[in-house]
Amino acid sequence: MWRGLLLLLFIGSAYAEDVLHLYNWNNYISDETVARFESQCACRVVQDYYSDNEEMLAKLAAGASGYDLIVPTGNAMESLIRQHALRPLDKSLLPNLKNIAPAYLDTAFDPGNRYSVPYAYTLTLIGYNSENIRELDLPIDSWAVIFEPRYLEKLKGRVTVLDSQRELLAAALKYLGYSANDVNEEHWKQARDLIIRAKPYWAAFNASSYIKELTVGNIWLVHGYSNDIFQADLDAQNAGRKFRILSSIPKEGAVLALDSMVLHNSGPRPDLAHRFINFMLDGGNSAELTNLIGSGNPNRDALQYIKPEIAQNPAVFPDLAQLARLEMLRDLDRHRRRVLSRIWNEIKLK
Amino acid sequence: MDKSGKKLISAARLTRYLVSGPPFIFLLLLFIAPSVIMVLASFRYPGEFGGLAPLAADPSTLHGITIETYQFFFSDFIYTEIFIKSILMSLATTFICLVMAYPLALLIALSPKQSRDLMVLLVILPFASNFLIRIYAWMIVLGPQSALNQLLNSMLHLFGIAPVQLLFSPFAVLVAMVYAHLPFMVLPLYTNLEKHDPYLLDAAQDLGANAWQRFWRVTFPLSLPGVFSGSALVFIPALGVFVIPEILGGTGDMLIGNLIKEQFLGTRDWPFGSTLSIMLTIAVLLIAWFTAKLGARRGRYV
Repeated sequence: MWRGLLLLLFIGSAYAEDVLHLYNWNNYISDETVARFESQCACRVVQDYYSDNEEMLAKLAAGASGYDLIVPTGNAMESLIRQHALRPLDKSLLPNLKNIAPAYLDTAFDPGNRYSVPYAYTLTLIGYNSENIRELDLPIDSWAVIFEPRYLEKLKGRVTVLDSQRELLAAALKYLGYSANDVNEEHWKQARDLIIRAKPYWAAFNASSYIKELTVGNIWLVHGYSNDIFQADLDAQNAGRKFRILSSIPKEGAVLALDSMVLHNSGPRPDLAHRFINFMLDGGNSAELTNLIGSGNPNRDALQYIKPEIAQNPAVFPDLAQLARLEMLRDLDRHRRRVLSRIWNEIKLK
Repeated sequence: MDKSGKKLISAARLTRYLVSGPPFIFLLLLFIAPSVIMVLASFRYPGEFGGLAPLAADPSTLHGITIETYQFFFSDFIYTEIFIKSILMSLATTFICLVMAYPLALLIALSPKQSRDLMVLLVILPFASNFLIRIYAWMIVLGPQSALNQLLNSMLHLFGIAPVQLLFSPFAVLVAMVYAHLPFMVLPLYTNLEKHDPYLLDAAQDLGANAWQRFWRVTFPLSLPGVFSGSALVFIPALGVFVIPEILGGTGDMLIGNLIKEQFLGTRDWPFGSTLSIMLTIAVLLIAWFTAKLGARRGRYV
């Protein structure tokens, strides 16, 4: 065994000169894609993982360095750009950039895409158990099922909402007819009251275990992320359950979170990072992620490689009318963050 | 004093420094220094992207030193409310742990010597698996489709009471808190009870004390140091827990630990997070001081 370990160490050091450090979300790239890139560039990809943007920002703020590539969501990326923590892209090294649909380019977070290339997106929407919801006659195409007591009465203890201040506030603001990025404190208070009124009917604020709870049938309806709902559906099918886990984009609109590849200042290998970005912009490589986790794909060339049942799912690939109702969350300033935190504590204690 | 005597004294002094040095440096670097940093951070403004605002900057932006986080804390009762709620939760955890651990510790202490080690090993055996996995296991034990919950609900049904949900409730949080902290109560109680002199009980019996009197007048007062150290070992960590309410709690289960964690991650408000931590430290010290006072008075009485 020791000999084997020594051998591993030796192999490791032999390749040490060509290493790409990727700081990515958990389960956000397929192993085959990584292996293909490694054989193409004759280098090694070392991955480090995070499970939310705050965790990644906190780790970078505490001085973590050496990452060539990070995949933050729009608002976290905006914060990184304003901190001057990112390296501008050299677009001459990215011929495949033409594959990205124009709707996902030139966002408010990074006008002109000086720093970022779209990677994948998720929607925050309603997921539900096909069997248990069918007989209840609920308007599952509206946030009303999450917020209105007259519908929630039929679902008491069977609903979870995301344990995220921004996401839940955004859903409430959308239902009230405001923008998800509204910062008017009066509107926030209306949203707070709406949430407090609905809270007694919810089982929990939950950010991760709702996937399992949906799969086993304990929870029937969630406010959750599209790829988590996709995962719950896959798990339910693999376990031979009699129901499916479906999703719907509420007609009031919802949040779209676009994750982009960016180069961190501290990364030693921008050359490899550019190669990796161009590689991921290739339709075939990009499609592998969507086929794996059901994430939305901004790459037009990828569509032909995506499994038809995913490509036809409107909650993964919304049509233009739906796309127009989706919003990306902007970062809040420090004063508003404190106000929101205060509102959140009030919600939890009530 | 002759030369060799002096040498002996200086050698003893050297040994004292060498022995107490490493723990002192450890505490200095890993407890006192971070605490000082935390106190300093609590008097700053939050940075725009997390972290702290600079001490000196152009006058148009927030910078410098302030007591606004303390004003914010005291101007709003909601934070005191979370503190009170967390302290009550920790007190309940401590009390239930004590009631459950005492008979167990007594049983181990009264067992034959050769089986005691095995029993102590069994008490600490849960530490062999990861804390998070043990808490996740409670999700399955308490879930709506678990045997426990279904048995309970079918019994409630017999009495015509509406079914209850165990998971995602304050009850689930309390169960897991007690579960996680029980060994910390058993071990100090056991080490104390094991040292009791059995002849004291014989003497009490000779003087006419019955079984209850022998326990309440002899064993229990002698075990008070164990009770106090066990309670401190349970109460203080229980006050800082944030994982358990996050995993098992319902829509209203939020403790100070969750509040502090949220300030450093989601809200990115380091100064206010530091202020909350300092308030927690002060609350813990006050409670420890009060308990020590109480313990000392009881000690004199005995």
